[in-house]
Amino acid sequence: MKLIRSRLFIGAFIAALAGCELPPRDQAGVTQQALQTSDDSDAALANEEYVMVTTAVSMPMYVNHDQAAFKRWGEKMGVKTSILGPADWDVPAQINTIEEVIGTRPTGLLINGTDPAIAQAIDKAVAAGIPTVVYDSDIPSSRRHAFLGTNWYEIGRMQGEEMARLIGGKGKVAYMGILGLNNMEDGFRGLLDVFKRYPNIEVVGKFDDKANVETAARLTADLLAAHPDMAGICGFDSNSGPGIALAVKEAGKAGTVKITTVDWEPEHLRLVKEGVIQMLAGQKRELFTWYGAQFLYDMVHRTNKLSGNDALAGINSVPNTVNTGLLRITKENVNQFLLP
Amino acid sequence: MNPILQLRGISKYFPGVKALEQVDFDLRAGEVHALCGENGAGKSTLMNILTGNLQPDAGQMLLDGSAVAISGPAEASRLGIAIVYQQLSVINTLSVAENIFANRQPRSKLGFIRYGELYAQTQALLDKLRLTNIRPQSLVGELSPGQRQMVEIAKALAQDPRILILDEPTASITQQESDTLFALIRQLKADGKAIIYISHRLKELFTIADRVTVLKDGRYQTTRPIADVTSNDLIRLMVGRDVEFARTPASGTGEPLLEVKNLTGSRFERISFTLHRGEILGLAGLVGAGRTEVARAIFGIDPLIEGRVMVHNKPCIIRHPADAVAAGIGYVPEERKTQGIFLNMSVMENVLAADLPAAQTGRWYGIGKARQIAERFREQLRMATPSVMQRAGLLSGGNQQKAVLARWLLANPDVLIVDEPTHGIDVGAKSEIHTLLSGLAAQGKGILLISSELPELLALADRILVIRQGTLAGELAGDTATEEAIMALAAHA
Amino acid sequence: MLNQILRDRVYTLTLTTLLLCIVSAAVFPATFPTFENFRQLLLNLSIDAIVAVGMMLLLISGVFDLSVGSVVAFAGGLSAHLMVFYNVPVPVAILAGLGSAVLIGWINGYLIAYQGINPLIQTLAMMGIVRGGALMVAGAGIQNLPYWYNAIGQSKLLGVQMPVWYMGLVVAAFTFLVNRTVFFRRYYYIGGNEQAAELSGIRVRRMKLYAFILSATLAGVAGMLLTSRLGAALSTLGRGMELRVITAVILGGASLTGGVGKIPGALLGALFMGLVSNIMVIARVSGYWQEIILGLILIIAVWIDLALQRRSAVRQGLPRKSVNTPSPEGVGIEK
Repeated sequence: MKLIRSRLFIGAFIAALAGCELPPRDQAGVTQQALQTSDDSDAALANEEYVMVTTAVSMPMYVNHDQAAFKRWGEKMGVKTSILGPADWDVPAQINTIEEVIGTRPTGLLINGTDPAIAQAIDKAVAAGIPTVVYDSDIPSSRRHAFLGTNWYEIGRMQGEEMARLIGGKGKVAYMGILGLNNMEDGFRGLLDVFKRYPNIEVVGKFDDKANVETAARLTADLLAAHPDMAGICGFDSNSGPGIALAVKEAGKAGTVKITTVDWEPEHLRLVKEGVIQMLAGQKRELFTWYGAQFLYDMVHRTNKLSGNDALAGINSVPNTVNTGLLRITKENVNQFLLP
Repeated sequence: MNPILQLRGISKYFPGVKALEQVDFDLRAGEVHALCGENGAGKSTLMNILTGNLQPDAGQMLLDGSAVAISGPAEASRLGIAIVYQQLSVINTLSVAENIFANRQPRSKLGFIRYGELYAQTQALLDKLRLTNIRPQSLVGELSPGQRQMVEIAKALAQDPRILILDEPTASITQQESDTLFALIRQLKADGKAIIYISHRLKELFTIADRVTVLKDGRYQTTRPIADVTSNDLIRLMVGRDVEFARTPASGTGEPLLEVKNLTGSRFERISFTLHRGEILGLAGLVGAGRTEVARAIFGIDPLIEGRVMVHNKPCIIRHPADAVAAGIGYVPEERKTQGIFLNMSVMENVLAADLPAAQTGRWYGIGKARQIAERFREQLRMATPSVMQRAGLLSGGNQQKAVLARWLLANPDVLIVDEPTHGIDVGAKSEIHTLLSGLAAQGKGILLISSELPELLALADRILVIRQGTLAGELAGDTATEEAIMALAAHA
Repeated sequence: MLNQILRDRVYTLTLTTLLLCIVSAAVFPATFPTFENFRQLLLNLSIDAIVAVGMMLLLISGVFDLSVGSVVAFAGGLSAHLMVFYNVPVPVAILAGLGSAVLIGWINGYLIAYQGINPLIQTLAMMGIVRGGALMVAGAGIQNLPYWYNAIGQSKLLGVQMPVWYMGLVVAAFTFLVNRTVFFRRYYYIGGNEQAAELSGIRVRRMKLYAFILSATLAGVAGMLLTSRLGAALSTLGRGMELRVITAVILGGASLTGGVGKIPGALLGALFMGLVSNIMVIARVSGYWQEIILGLILIIAVWIDLALQRRSAVRQGLPRKSVNTPSPEGVGIEK
């Protein structure tokens, strides 16, 4: 009896091993489904659904810029748009969402490039024949069809150049953002590359404000207490600017301690107008999603045919990489951004 | 004299159970009316009806001759009915005054507590009750169990009730403290309060009660002046049979099972004794004398400062109860609810707690086998439970204690330490436990019996050790000892 | 009898889950009841479910561990760091990652069980410390993990990705062990009444230490699987996982006071939460609704339990307020 049972077990084990399938060594081996296409009839349009998958889906900056433009685009084109993703910053959950969405076969996928780790999920979508566009940060290791976004290294450089100018090339500076995020780390690198050319600039440190206004304010207050001669502070996430500005104002050093940061939410703009923040390095986020969605549409509808059959030719009829550029907002032009 | 409270034909049914059936009861001002009955006789249900926790299904309650319905505890307190529960409800981390005036502290206009007034009012109350050794500012946690009981009563009296219900007030206090309590009760009686007194200790009813009402299986038996009944009458009325703590023959031999030498811990010092095979060794003393502490030290719960423990003539190092169990010692703790029973687990799981491997077949634990074992003990100990899968918390105190004892019968240690094994248990279960313990001794176990009930010690023990303030005050032979002799050793400073 | 079944969360949750599946299949016939969808759904919850098994064991013994999410990130990050930056062979790196998890579990367990630090405080502090460590080893994320490491989480068996099978293995093994070994039965006693367990000769402190080590080790395993499945180690992995897992385990029938819960309940709780999130994706409902709905479901589940308990307590004739602490004089049983 025991013998039979153990034989059965071994048999089952061998059968199981036979059913085992290792992951592909490289991308070439992946079976590729033909890209989904559609025609321009109204009926077809009404059935089309473009899905955006991001993380931290409720973040105001995402809602007001990325998602608003995407929805506006959908209404204009007469197609359905959906926005999915976890409420918090949770990359694995975003990956899970992408992979679950693939099964529901959307017309096109617009994915926030939060982390290189989502490359596999993007590849799965591409392999399933779903047009897939990445925005914000590129995932170069993936087989995404197109990318639109800002070069974060450039954001760092732009802040660095401006800060060096503001403090006259000397003094103590600090910077903060979310540590461990790829795009931020690129930005930090750009910033430091600029400061390297100024031997009189002393970088006091790199701090994690966890994308939280209170944390940014507390860090700044501590910094100002420890270094009363602090010349400037750079911020890299949406909440860095308001937090730094709050602490600098409370210390009575508005204008004395120079601030550059990213994003141009109403709060940021107001602080620029007040003269607390000297410069904002703004992204054109609306363009990421508007044109990203348009790329998807153009792929599906084969708007621009570059060959007899682009799919057979193995080519892609939308731009590979788009840098939307940066906005430089200072006291001089801030009024144009403040809505009447 | 007209009764202030009258119950007429009170009935209360739970699905499948008649908890109370046509119960009559009346209470006069200035009397102590005792309420007797086994566990499950309906005393708790009756008290819950009086305090508004439960509503009767039939019957009438008259207060000063007019019918009342008590909708809840707040209503009961408004009507002047206060209860002191068996389990203390005082909060150890708060002061005496804050406990007594819980949620009713005198407040200033802004809502802040006026501590001066709070302490003054408390002091006045304590003075009135002649509880002069309790300070309003003391933390309740620092008081003795008896003093805590007094605080509990003071808390109930702070609202100046006309009817005071005392549920087992002497269960956790010493003889001396009981005497103080009785003096307090007599004083309340003289003030014209009506007191309902519930106790398992029949002897004290004769000291304190004026009349006694007996309930049995939810039915009213009788009400009589206490002077007209004897202890045996009451027992007969409660259980329908004569239960006597007949002295069991000693079965002790000369073979030592457990020897302790110069045992010294934080609350006791230089305790030495030998427990022999087949012997029940009584450990007497006032509450707080250090009896439980000695047991806990032997069982490895509390650390020893000095001393040796030998089991079967071999020195044993016991640092944890698991070591003690391995050496063949079992322990039934005094605090059944917090230390003995697993209230939310089944009877079966309770029985197996100390010897889980008993339910193994090979190396695997099996619930079928566990159930068989539990069933065996259910029958052997006559545990009243519909199934061994029943939650132990739903059992009566006596049956819970049987489950704890079954645990050690299963683990089968040579030495069993039992600490107040019949505390808060009804008379019927009590005598069953007594039979069980003497049976174990006859089988050749050694039993160390800690008890505050002297009749229990006198009935069971071969020898009685008396501990006074952490030291051994003397040893008495079980068959010749008297309550007076034990108390003399235990109490004399 | 019916009451008994209704009070066993494993039954009620299975029933609710099945019902939810049937309704979803009816509403989304094309997208929900497909092999691809279930394969993906199970893959997505497999990591949480493995961590939930350890958490279930902790909750049975009346404690919990908030640091598991950080351990997932740290253990995975450490092995990735060693493999990518120091070319450490895959098995050695895995052992190092698991070893770090064991060590973290040991520290938690030792300080809680032997030194008496409150589990909430200890594991909360550990959560921060280990997250900081994860940030150090994983930095801005580590990609390009060795092929054989990725193969652990990305291989498929019978068309289903490996983490699902590992989850099945872990759940099956622990279900068996917890039901059939004396060692694991002891955790119910510890959770039921710690003092009584100690006085029954159970070495409570040692058992708790083991439970924390076991839970952290399972979190370490989860960290390996997650990083190998993603092919990358991120310092943000497992953020918020601790609360998600505790929610799953409580849905699965555990109680914060200890003594109750079954291992399959951990899987069911995770499955139910995965299912809700999957249906949300299919129905294209935004992320924050998911949190609101899960919160509501948790409250309802616990509330139904209390209501059932109260009903059975009334039947037994106990006054209402003593539902949780029955008086030693249980009324009406003694006959």
